[in-house]
Amino acid sequence: MKKILIVISALISFVNTGFSQIDDKEDNPAWHLYIDSATVTAQRIMKDIGVQQTKLDTVALRESISTSMADVLTQNTVIFIKSYGRATLSTASFRGTAPSHTQVTWNGMKLNSPMLGMVDFSLIPSYFIDDASLYHGASSVSITGGGLGGAIAMNTKPGVDEGLAIQYIQGISSFDTYDSFLRFNYKNSNFQSSTRIVHTDSDNDFKYVNYDKKEYVKDENGSIAGFKYPVERNKNGDYRDFHALQEFYFTANSGSLFGFSTWYVKSKRGIPVLNLDYRSENSSRSQQDEQTLRTVLSWDKSLTNMKFTAKAGYTYTDLSYSYSGDDGTGTLIKMIQSQSYVNTAFAKFDIEYYSGKKWMFSANITAHQNSVNSKDGAIINADNRSVIIGYIKSRFELSSFVSAKYRPVERLGFAINFREELYGSKNTPVIPAAFVNYDISKSGNIKAKASVAKNYRYPSLNDLYFMPGGNDSLDNETGYTYDGGIEFTLLNNKTNLKGEITAFNSNIKNWIVWLPNFKGFWTPSNVKKVNSYGIEIKLKNDIDFGKNRKLSSDGNFAWTRSINWDNPVNWADESAGKQLVYIPEFSVAITAKLAWETWMLTYKWIYYSERFTTSNNEKNTKISRLGAYFMNDISIEKNMRFSWAKISVKLLVNNIFNEEYQSVLSRPMAGRNFGLFIEIKPDFRKNKII
Amino acid sequence: MKKKLTHISILTILLIVESCMDYGPKSESDFNYYDSNGLFIVNEGNFMYGNASLSYYDINKKRVENEIFVRANGIKLGDVAQSITVRNGIGYVVVNNSGVIFTIDVNTFKIIDIITGFISPRHIHFVNDNKAYVTDLYGSKIYILNPVTKKISGSIDVSTHNSTEQIAQSGKYVFTNCWSYDNKIFVIDSENDIIIDSITVGIQPNSMVIDKNGKLWVLTDGGYQGNPYGHEIPSLFCINASDFKIEKKIDFELNDSPSKLIINSSLDTLYFINKSIWKISIDAAKLPDVPIIPYKGTTYYGLAVSPENSEIYVADAVDYVQNGKIYRYTAQYVCIDTINAGVCPSNFCFKLK
Repeated sequence: MKKILIVISALISFVNTGFSQIDDKEDNPAWHLYIDSATVTAQRIMKDIGVQQTKLDTVALRESISTSMADVLTQNTVIFIKSYGRATLSTASFRGTAPSHTQVTWNGMKLNSPMLGMVDFSLIPSYFIDDASLYHGASSVSITGGGLGGAIAMNTKPGVDEGLAIQYIQGISSFDTYDSFLRFNYKNSNFQSSTRIVHTDSDNDFKYVNYDKKEYVKDENGSIAGFKYPVERNKNGDYRDFHALQEFYFTANSGSLFGFSTWYVKSKRGIPVLNLDYRSENSSRSQQDEQTLRTVLSWDKSLTNMKFTAKAGYTYTDLSYSYSGDDGTGTLIKMIQSQSYVNTAFAKFDIEYYSGKKWMFSANITAHQNSVNSKDGAIINADNRSVIIGYIKSRFELSSFVSAKYRPVERLGFAINFREELYGSKNTPVIPAAFVNYDISKSGNIKAKASVAKNYRYPSLNDLYFMPGGNDSLDNETGYTYDGGIEFTLLNNKTNLKGEITAFNSNIKNWIVWLPNFKGFWTPSNVKKVNSYGIEIKLKNDIDFGKNRKLSSDGNFAWTRSINWDNPVNWADESAGKQLVYIPEFSVAITAKLAWETWMLTYKWIYYSERFTTSNNEKNTKISRLGAYFMNDISIEKNMRFSWAKISVKLLVNNIFNEEYQSVLSRPMAGRNFGLFIEIKPDFRKNKII
Repeated sequence: MKKKLTHISILTILLIVESCMDYGPKSESDFNYYDSNGLFIVNEGNFMYGNASLSYYDINKKRVENEIFVRANGIKLGDVAQSITVRNGIGYVVVNNSGVIFTIDVNTFKIIDIITGFISPRHIHFVNDNKAYVTDLYGSKIYILNPVTKKISGSIDVSTHNSTEQIAQSGKYVFTNCWSYDNKIFVIDSENDIIIDSITVGIQPNSMVIDKNGKLWVLTDGGYQGNPYGHEIPSLFCINASDFKIEKKIDFELNDSPSKLIINSSLDTLYFINKSIWKISIDAAKLPDVPIIPYKGTTYYGLAVSPENSEIYVADAVDYVQNGKIYRYTAQYVCIDTINAGVCPSNFCFKLK
């Protein structure tokens, strides 16, 4: 109850910040609405009828240049990111669903691993994303199928300013962390080239007090006489990531826009050991290495009432996991070596047609050809032979989509979507989705939205073929979801308050779960029935004081009940009616920014309620429950303009109250830590700066 | 109104600053089970969760204490607890993925010593009071432990085979099974700590015991379909522990998954899990037709037979991610108690007065 009060208080306080500021102004004796017609009209895009969408603008994406998309989503959305720590696996739970239920695209191409079905957001630098949108629940059908929780569409975009621009940012942070960012951009009237490079290197060996171990002191009789909690370092957590993104855009005289974007990733990451590991630091090492190349070619053509888009792409991933251990001689030898190669070819064709002001039709077809070679080179003793375990499989996936949108009157809009997906020799049933949008107020500043969909997610290649355990008789997961909400916009000449409240309900059947079988290895089956429901609240408040002084605040609140309603395994099964493991019931993320001429102060606050790690939500335990936690981060930035360059210096302090906490069991997180970032944008006078 | 809102704001700030974390020192409790016949239950927990635990069941009072290790010592047991062995009033708890063996007082559950130096320890076997062997999943060796000093004093190289699992002893011969993608039983001369022979059995020998006649019984699981090492009918092997010759082989069905072979205190009856719970005499020539405790949607994961009265304790892991149950049966297979345990209960050890 206390936690709920905390959350409510925080939200009241957050909104109050905006209102009390307004009350204090003598020239605003009472709150009144000033409708910015341009803004409201722009929001009535037919494409977005009824769509529950969260847009992440470049401000959110660039707020902290060193962050990954995992951090951006944590701080700016209602999505729960389950993170194992800095630069380690970070997966998304959208509306209380599993990581594989969040479909992710980059420039239209799927990022979800065809093997695992999910995305590691810690491997996506926010510096490489210019535009990202979250499509909640049914709204994801317009992006792709299988988004039982939702979908995230991320894109790169051509710049606006012509000329040459260079940007270099160097960061130095705690735990021997060095971040470097470089961007070259050149644009003329019909051609643009953009090169972005990110390099991050960190020992990531933060210290923490290990409350799960004790160092005992013994007396002369060998009996324990005392103890202390050891101060340990995060072991084996070092990482080195390199990303390069090259884009070209060309506008032909015919009006066609051609684009080329290619993104190369080389990542080498140690996997930190648990704080319960008693092995000596040098006796073992787990490591994940990845090289990925993603390339997308695009063509866009807009006519008066039609728009065509064609895309083709290719992804290559070389992913390896190794575990090396001391063989007894002090030498580390590889005891586990899992290697996988994934090749994906991609093509998409999209057409939009507007018939007058009342109708819009769109259709697209997307194809992915996946080829996976997954092998485990564990040393196996069959006459001293090394035997490979794994699978080599290819799968063709085709997704076709049609949509009709109708706005009979200015204030009312309807949309209906149909999608069907083919994978291998099978296909999902037709995925239907319907949307409605109604402007409650004439001026359009209060809107109601609702959507409903029946969605299907087909099994990943690991689900079907992993050795051992793959189950090629798995069915599609089925989700039936609906939501409804109200969105409001309050504007005056200095203040802008936007809010949205949405209630959702989803029922997912045939949820695929991996469990040990009688043979002792893990195998997936369609066992779970889950009912996920809750409320999402988004608030955004900007107060412009003039003279480059502005206070902005942004808040996201989610109440998520993700309840297992599967038939009990046996009489002893107490998981029915309980929250799924690792899904917090409440989460809040608030960001407040004060821009004061050349200074910028940013405060971030997040809260997660307690999470259970047992399916029966065991409360009477000292080992299987993760407590609620708050996190407070602050940064201050100073911008300076010289004749030759624009320079900014930013100091950030994460976890300012030095909280000792765990986000995942047995993985303590970093305490207070610092970062210093210096950004230089040379000014080429006639040329503009990025 | 404005004043109220301001107060709420101040309250909020105070609450934000206030810590609400559960990660910190844990309290310790005192236990006193000196005068108790009990059963230690090792709850594996989930791999990489660090939620392994130890439970203690007072057999006479039918009362269970869960999470006794963390409650007695204020620290967690670790990641994937594998086994517990009681010797001279000391419990040796082997925690596989933490690479550690804790020694605890079996009456108070307080830590006596923490033994490290392993890679992935599985089981401990006492050759005598001064020498114990510890098997290891990845260590490519069997560790020789001095129980007096609690130090590793040497090792036996098994580098041609990856894993060693359980240990059984007949006279000076100690047997260990190479379980993971293997089919060998090593024979160790425990006087000289060297491997003197190996016995080839079926694919993946997972458990073994010695009977009253000095025969080594080995249960194999036969691998699985698609296994590059092979997939065959699981079998129960009877091996002469003196000349290491296979004397008898009893076959299961191809897709059976037998495991957890144990023996009663009179060393003449074998018990094992094969979806249900089964019992077979050491003199039998074939498997029985019906189990003693049938499968009822249960996930049988551990098995023990009381050396006092042949009562049977069966662990049910339920869905593997919630606390499991232990069913206590009389020697006539009547269920007389159901015990709440920890996550994935898998291994037992009796503590008798």
